[in-house]
Amino acid sequence: MADSDRVEVPPAPEAAAISPHVDSSVVASHRTRRNLGPMIWAALIVFGAGWIAIQVLRNGLGTSGNVPQFIIITLGSVSLAALFFLAAVGLTLIFGLMRVVNMAHGSLYLLGGYCAWALTTKMGVDWWLAALIAMLSVGVLGLVMEQAFLRWNLGQDLRQALITIAISVILADQMLANFGAMPSVLPTPTALAQPFQLGLYNLSYSSFRLFVIGMALAIGLLLWLWIQRTRFGMVIRAGIDDRAMASALGVNVQVVFAIAFFAGSCLAALSGVLGGTMLSLAPGQDVAFLTSSIVVVIIGGMGSLGGAALGAALLAFVETYSGVYLPQNLAPYSMVVTFLLVAAVLAVRPQGLFARAER
Amino acid sequence: MSSYLMARRMAAVVVVGVVVLLPFIFSVYITSAIAVPTLWIGLCAVSLTFLSRYGGMISLAQTGLFGVAGLLTAALMVQAGWDPWAAALIGVLAATGVGLIFGALASSSTGTYFLMITLALAEISYYLFSAVPAFGLHEGINAVFPPAILGDPVLHPTGNYYFLLVICVLVYLFLRYLVRTPFGIALQGVRDDPDRMTSLGFNVRLHRMLIFAVGAAIAGIAGVLSAWNNTRISADSVSLAVTIVVLECAVIGGLFRLEGAWVGALVVTVLTTFGPSFTDRYATAIGIVFLAIVLISPGGLVGIWTWLDGRIRHWLESKPPAAPTPQAAPPPIGGD
Amino acid sequence: MGSRSKVFVLSTITALVVVLSGCSGNAPSTAPVTAPPVTAAPVGTAPGTAAPTVTVAPVGTAPGTTAPSTEPLKIGVLAICGGPFATYQLEAFLGAKFALLNLAGGTSAGQGPEDGVLNATIAGRPVQLYWGCSDATPDAAVAQARLLVEQQHVDILLGPESGDEGVAIANYAKTQPGVTFINGTSGAQITTLQVQAPNFFRFGGDGAQWMAGVGTYAYKVLGWKKMSILAEDYSYPYTLAAGVIAEFCSEGGQVTQRTYVPLSTADWSSYVAQIPSDVDGTLLLTGGTNTTNVLAAYKQLGGDPSKKMLGGSSVMDPTSFVTGDSLVGMAGGSPVPQGSTDATWTAWVNAIQNVYPSVPAQSLFTVIYYNGMQAIIEAMTKVNGDLSNNHAAFNQALSSLTPTFPNGKITLDANRNANIPAYVTQFVKDASGNLSFNVLKTVSEVDETFGGLFSATSPAPGRDQPVCQAGTPPPWAANF
Repeated sequence: MADSDRVEVPPAPEAAAISPHVDSSVVASHRTRRNLGPMIWAALIVFGAGWIAIQVLRNGLGTSGNVPQFIIITLGSVSLAALFFLAAVGLTLIFGLMRVVNMAHGSLYLLGGYCAWALTTKMGVDWWLAALIAMLSVGVLGLVMEQAFLRWNLGQDLRQALITIAISVILADQMLANFGAMPSVLPTPTALAQPFQLGLYNLSYSSFRLFVIGMALAIGLLLWLWIQRTRFGMVIRAGIDDRAMASALGVNVQVVFAIAFFAGSCLAALSGVLGGTMLSLAPGQDVAFLTSSIVVVIIGGMGSLGGAALGAALLAFVETYSGVYLPQNLAPYSMVVTFLLVAAVLAVRPQGLFARAER
Repeated sequence: MSSYLMARRMAAVVVVGVVVLLPFIFSVYITSAIAVPTLWIGLCAVSLTFLSRYGGMISLAQTGLFGVAGLLTAALMVQAGWDPWAAALIGVLAATGVGLIFGALASSSTGTYFLMITLALAEISYYLFSAVPAFGLHEGINAVFPPAILGDPVLHPTGNYYFLLVICVLVYLFLRYLVRTPFGIALQGVRDDPDRMTSLGFNVRLHRMLIFAVGAAIAGIAGVLSAWNNTRISADSVSLAVTIVVLECAVIGGLFRLEGAWVGALVVTVLTTFGPSFTDRYATAIGIVFLAIVLISPGGLVGIWTWLDGRIRHWLESKPPAAPTPQAAPPPIGGD
Repeated sequence: MGSRSKVFVLSTITALVVVLSGCSGNAPSTAPVTAPPVTAAPVGTAPGTAAPTVTVAPVGTAPGTTAPSTEPLKIGVLAICGGPFATYQLEAFLGAKFALLNLAGGTSAGQGPEDGVLNATIAGRPVQLYWGCSDATPDAAVAQARLLVEQQHVDILLGPESGDEGVAIANYAKTQPGVTFINGTSGAQITTLQVQAPNFFRFGGDGAQWMAGVGTYAYKVLGWKKMSILAEDYSYPYTLAAGVIAEFCSEGGQVTQRTYVPLSTADWSSYVAQIPSDVDGTLLLTGGTNTTNVLAAYKQLGGDPSKKMLGGSSVMDPTSFVTGDSLVGMAGGSPVPQGSTDATWTAWVNAIQNVYPSVPAQSLFTVIYYNGMQAIIEAMTKVNGDLSNNHAAFNQALSSLTPTFPNGKITLDANRNANIPAYVTQFVKDASGNLSFNVLKTVSEVDETFGGLFSATSPAPGRDQPVCQAGTPPPWAANF
């Protein structure tokens, strides 16, 4: 063997699949940060809340003050958080269970929205039925994707990430070809078309956005029940904690993965339908929601429902409030502030706020 | 066998010859719009390949660092009138510094988590550049020219081409050298078994940060060179789409060999330049090639070549000798 | 090969390269041979062919060997085919092609945007069309322009489409004196006012000119004294806003809030909620999906777009119709007289709809690309197809052209930018209940300086520029 190869240590087959854990070398340094981290967070939150409170209450509590505006903005923020949560929860489950970051997750979001859009606008299908059909068909597509491309290379995390990136590139271009570049909006279902009276300050708010909040709560609760209280959920939790052991104990991990991937894809599609009605559908939204879902998972920790909820809330609130309550000329920096949030989490607790203790 | 090896050597000489004499063989357009971008995109991709191969880290933040250097250099040159070399130096140093920060943030994670974190960091960079007016926002900074000694990159790209070629060769040699040093060997240990390395007393995080800084410096050099040769740079030069393109270059070329970065860059540059003329769906075509490579040959095109070469030699070896000739043992099969 | 011999070979190559580069330095490249011919889209494909075919590029002849009047005239058209702005590809390409059908004797080879045109001749020279596709980023626009200009050797380039691309292309034009660049719809102000490339012509005016009259309309007709701006954060909205701000403030109005929102923001409802309650109205400078989101949120908060909102030129476009009835009554600025009953205009609209039913005819993208091609045809006819001497005669003819376009008559200023008519238009519902337009006011002879409010040394339009200050209103303000 030529001496040039002597020091070229080829990567071990599993080296590319090092599971995303925090290795022991950083535990020591984290210990010193354990107290500092939460303190910094608390300080930031107090400061932020105080700043906003000053802006909001500056002109008093009456209708001419800033409070009505604050209520609308907060409701907008909560509904956006609901959408982020629904979009991200599928990703975090798949990631936690299968250690696969499905980079095509955003494409499934957009595809679900487009399917429902085509059904409602081109074929006159009722919104609720279209949502259901879109959800299930994209769920099946996700399942097919998993079976065809991901099933046989379990454990090669990075390779799977690359595969899903390639799929997302292809899907994005195909959607552009088939649905065009014109932004599309799904028509709001008639039952939710009328604004909802809030009873405060004579304000009314979009019923649909309130519905999205309700959906997120309901689905979050259902998922929690499923994972925490059913036998299958126990299997999922076991798989998230220790896949090898679960398999050794006789669990058919392939079936569990397939079901999880199907469920995750369904949720992505459903959030696409909701997002397409609440906001809009356009090329680029797939990247936007993949990014927001990744941020939610980074903040909340992979595999954690509570983490996804917290991450979605933080992301939505920071993005919305920084756009509005920062000094005006800093409004274009709202995206930067959002990502500084990500950096802050990474600096303090890289595995996410709610990450489960690793073995 | 020996004639095959001879043929292979001849082919290598021809390839090297073409690369060295490219500006005299091909048109000004091909040199400046295909060859030169291949070189600096390949440089950015090799930083990714290097981090992946020797650090076990697939980083999507390379374009962010590319942008830091490129945009800072362009801003200093056009808005503050700096000398190009000084501006380039500051740009690369800034990129290295930011790389250390990114490295510090990301170094405690590995695998796909690391990938996600670097993706988020790349997005931060993009949004920052889209928001800070000093860097030209989406319009970007135009009329950026390389140092006069290198010549006009659009009309007379020869000087720039050779300069870039030298830089690429030097970076390649440097990286090959780096992995042979004790530092480089330690890096590979950190890649394979961080826990054992920790127990041996190595500071794993520091090693990761440093290798990330090396990758950042290389990506920064690529950024400066791209600003010079495109005569412009903007926030959209470092968007997520570009991040994916760089990843495609590295993967299509092959993540196991540093040379793969430039092979992949050539393929992707040709496809993206001439693709839109053939079909609006060229992005799908590149995506399919990318997918096929990842599925079939994780070693990319270079991996396919290596495999093919190995198969041919194996086949040639297993053939019975044509006739007994008074020849010594077959020439040793050199590892190439 | 052992590693030592590898290093040796590589070092030798490096040394060789260094020596070669030292020698070649600034010397012009002598490579005469072009790369393997690869052409873009069809040159006169048979009708009915869907996909573009690849043909071999005609080999460039040495100058002087063939009489210029029968040599094919190669025109490249550059628009945006990918990404979120790709809907305008249809309008740009079909508008350009229609000029060849209408004015150069061409026949259509198909309804698709990249289907060719057969039999078109200008000054006796057969026309060969080449399509270039960008994705709204300046890098891609320049790369495609270079492909068209340096690889396919087009004589004239028509495009690009978006503001940021235009600045980059105008800079590139300076390096290619042997090619004439006619702007598409890119509307950034500095493209002509500051870059001033001698072979770059803008027959459509800049974005500020498109909004001429809106500021006065707001101040005098709607009675606004205070205005806020809600816009996407990139150069085209900056330029649109600049026109309105300069005019509105020169008459004494005040712009109290300017909110520029990052392009990638999904949810605009919080920015809408933030519009101050003490302003008389808001200038909305968004496109596509963002228009829809904003208007939905605005109505929901009880706002009335017909009285308290004015739209930029991307809002006042048929592509906004998807927003629905909330648009009705809203006015804004446009370079094309949408909904005008003028005979020339309606004749043109009907003619193009006849040939290309799928194209929105009353969109500035369709019209301005048509105008660009019309200018090419008129100037070429004037000089009898002569492109010698780096297009000296042709460029001169372009500079002195005073064409009458479907949207009005224009002249070019010293920077080769057009003095255009602009229109204040309004969304209405037509007799069949569909959304349509109405022209409220015609503003004639808008120049790029706005009657002296802008100059080559003014700060480029941006988030804080121009500053709102009183001054001399532009000449057309007196007509309101």
